[in-house]
Amino acid sequence: MQLMINGADVTVEEGGSRLLLWVLRDELGYTGTRFGCGAGICGACTVHVDGIATRSCITPLAAVEGKEIRTIEGLATNDQLHPVQQAFIDQQVPQCGWCMSGQIMTAAAFLNANPSPTDEQIVEAMGNSYCRCGCYVRIKAAIQQVATATTARKEALV
Amino acid sequence: MTTDKQTTDKQTTDKQTADKHIADKHIADKQKRSRWRPTRRGFLIGLGVLGGGLAIGIPLGLPALRLTAARFLDNASAPGVSEADPFAWFEITPESRLRLYISKVEMGQGVHTALAQIGAEELGLTVDDLEVVQASTRTGPNDGFGTGGSNSVSGTYDALRQAAATLRQLLQEEAAVALSVAPGDLRIQRTGFVVAAQPATGIKFAPLVARKSDWQIPETPAPVKAVADFQVIGTPAPRLDIPAKVTGEALYGFDMRLEGMLYGALARPPRIEAKLTGAAEGTAMAVPGVKQVVIRENFAGVVATSRAAARAGVKALELTWDEGKAWQQAEIDALVAIGEQGGVHVQREGNAARVLAGGATLTAEYFTPLAAHTSMEPPAALANVTPEKVTIWASVQAQNSTQSDVAQALGVDAEIVEVIPTYLGGGFGRKSFSEPGREAAILSQAVGAPVHVGWDRTEDLRHGFFRPPVRNRLAAVLDADGKISAIEHRQASGDVLFAFFPAVAASVLGVDFGAWRGGTIHYSAIPNRETLAWRAKLPVRTSSWRGLGLLPNAFAVETFIDELAHTAGQDPLAFRLAHLDESDGDRRMAGVLKAAAERAGWGTPLPAGRARGIACCTDTDTKVAQVAEVSVEDGRIRVHKITAAMDCGLVINPDGAAAQVQGNVMWGVGSALLESVTIQDGAVVAGNFDGYPLLTMKEAPDVEVVLMAASDDRPRGVGEPAIGPTAPAIGNAVFALTGQRLRSLPFKLG
Repeated sequence: MQLMINGADVTVEEGGSRLLLWVLRDELGYTGTRFGCGAGICGACTVHVDGIATRSCITPLAAVEGKEIRTIEGLATNDQLHPVQQAFIDQQVPQCGWCMSGQIMTAAAFLNANPSPTDEQIVEAMGNSYCRCGCYVRIKAAIQQVATATTARKEALV
Repeated sequence: MTTDKQTTDKQTTDKQTADKHIADKHIADKQKRSRWRPTRRGFLIGLGVLGGGLAIGIPLGLPALRLTAARFLDNASAPGVSEADPFAWFEITPESRLRLYISKVEMGQGVHTALAQIGAEELGLTVDDLEVVQASTRTGPNDGFGTGGSNSVSGTYDALRQAAATLRQLLQEEAAVALSVAPGDLRIQRTGFVVAAQPATGIKFAPLVARKSDWQIPETPAPVKAVADFQVIGTPAPRLDIPAKVTGEALYGFDMRLEGMLYGALARPPRIEAKLTGAAEGTAMAVPGVKQVVIRENFAGVVATSRAAARAGVKALELTWDEGKAWQQAEIDALVAIGEQGGVHVQREGNAARVLAGGATLTAEYFTPLAAHTSMEPPAALANVTPEKVTIWASVQAQNSTQSDVAQALGVDAEIVEVIPTYLGGGFGRKSFSEPGREAAILSQAVGAPVHVGWDRTEDLRHGFFRPPVRNRLAAVLDADGKISAIEHRQASGDVLFAFFPAVAASVLGVDFGAWRGGTIHYSAIPNRETLAWRAKLPVRTSSWRGLGLLPNAFAVETFIDELAHTAGQDPLAFRLAHLDESDGDRRMAGVLKAAAERAGWGTPLPAGRARGIACCTDTDTKVAQVAEVSVEDGRIRVHKITAAMDCGLVINPDGAAAQVQGNVMWGVGSALLESVTIQDGAVVAGNFDGYPLLTMKEAPDVEVVLMAASDDRPRGVGEPAIGPTAPAIGNAVFALTGQRLRSLPFKLG
């Protein structure tokens, strides 16, 4: 079975009912995608499938065959951190960090679709991603930082 | 009276004997394998400890039990770890790098960064100049205390500074000899010293260390810097662990992998009291991928080539259980009882009982339920057991007790067991034990291959342990001026730290200082104050949960104070201030109350439908006050903002401290609005986050943090104190808004 992960073709065993999360983590070693609940509730396992934030713990392989899968390991390009990753460093967001891959992947997909969100839209988009350490104030600030920079760039171009 | 005294003396003697025995054994065990040479000044010095160069270690005294620990938890700095081995050490590598081994684990509290700041300060370097290494039980310091209790910085600050300053002085004096200059002419750099006036001339650390084989700690203590000269301490430092946490590269216990590793899963009891009475393979070996079934006393596990196969294998086992009683939550809560007698005094100032005998102005009872930790990374460990060596990689707060636990389970000498703490995906007290470490070790020993055990969320919620239920009853007398003349706090709780204690030690101590943490009445201007605690033995496992008793007890005490303020017809802020005296602690408490109130606009008008509440607490001698701003929307409490002021003395990393306040506030809001565990028919009801929802960004308030300027040069606890005031501040605000007094967590509006 062929998967496309972070731009590379990867061959895995047949078996379309296997869950993407465990194939990524245990079979392929992409441990940056984390396990939190196995029920699609907490968001720690979020990856991009064709650019859409997707909870890999409830996603069978059959659903992602032939699609582009991107994990946290593939979010930076050419050693350049994704703006969301950089903002999470700038705002010193993570505490324990276990949920952060999911937070960042969720935020990156959201900002790609909506580069200049309102605060309410940020809360709506991030409101189903658990952070037990309670980094919510800083997660929001990091997303605002990226959104503000994007808006500023757009305004500069006008 | 005589009888009381005799009992007390006997208890003290018994306790001292027990303490001494434990201490002696501990020291003997440690000295047997210590690679360290004690010095006259109390440091430990080692050469070639890890095949590197000179190392300087820092020992601490053994923790005394009861009173010392109690003082630490409520008011002072920390107890230490062990006498024979250091808790941290510097080592100079053959590459001339200064390496700082830290036994404290990084679980998001930023401890590696803060301790590196302290070390770098006295070395005259920056955090980036140090190699910071997580110590394992073999390659680093022995830390019998583990990581918790908000004491990692405050409890190690002096010793770490002294060690760093001493290391620098030792090296600098020898460098001066080597370079034929005065020590003061030298400047330290990342890998060695240079002559300040001729930076091309210098000597690196490794050849410097090689010049001598008999390094001695100097007779005169190396001077440490004055606080005014600090350049690293007190300056916001980017956390060392954050870059790897945004790229996904950070490794946690759940992430550890080895060539040829297998996955393990365990049979779990159907009820909290259930015992395994019979186990057989059943059809488990027929499940594709299953390699082995491992059955031991009260243990049935399956090893397989995938987690899914291991879990399927467990389902195919034939198991019989003695299920135990079908406990209901109400029955468990009823065990948390404040008796008429038998309470242990943990505070007695003046004579509250005598004043209260004349009748209380107000009494009230409060309740805090069972709650779960739900660290986002469930408990997990990888074990590789060979006849010669056992290696455990685990997200664990107490690597040393895991080492002995694993050794015992395997029947091997603890000497051959190395526990390597990884990053922790949350700890919060839950990871003071590593059940997966023990489980993976047993399975690995049986199957002869590395085995990983990662709990799923259901196991985490149903088969771990919890914050205990806590009941508090308070009574007070208001005098004619509306001041509290006497207050009594009676508190009952399930076990917290007793879970770590041998049964005999627990019975000698009588009452669990983890359980009543935060429960003493800290308003020094109240002349008569008593706190009594009862231990409730419960059928469900309870132990440390962030802040231990702090959240339940601060909730009760600070809600009651608010009730008294309203009874007296006084402003809740002014009422609190009126019961603080001129002692140092009370002045600092008044400081945070005023700072939080001022920043939150206490007393200024709010939009219609909103109200404020205030609360405070003291913990590890850190003072915290918070103001909550709330509304009620569609019958639900909405917390808009928490303004928090904290006086934790000298702040090492201000940004890290602020992050801890923000996180603690979210824990407080979660407990106030959402969290409780329910046991029904002997089992935990919630099996995942659908049954135990956590706070999300949707309910999360804005948090404004005010860190007070240090009133002295002592760092105090940061990781937990701010968890205390949030729930009572919210409840007090709801009362101000609605007139409804909320006395049970989580809050439910009537």
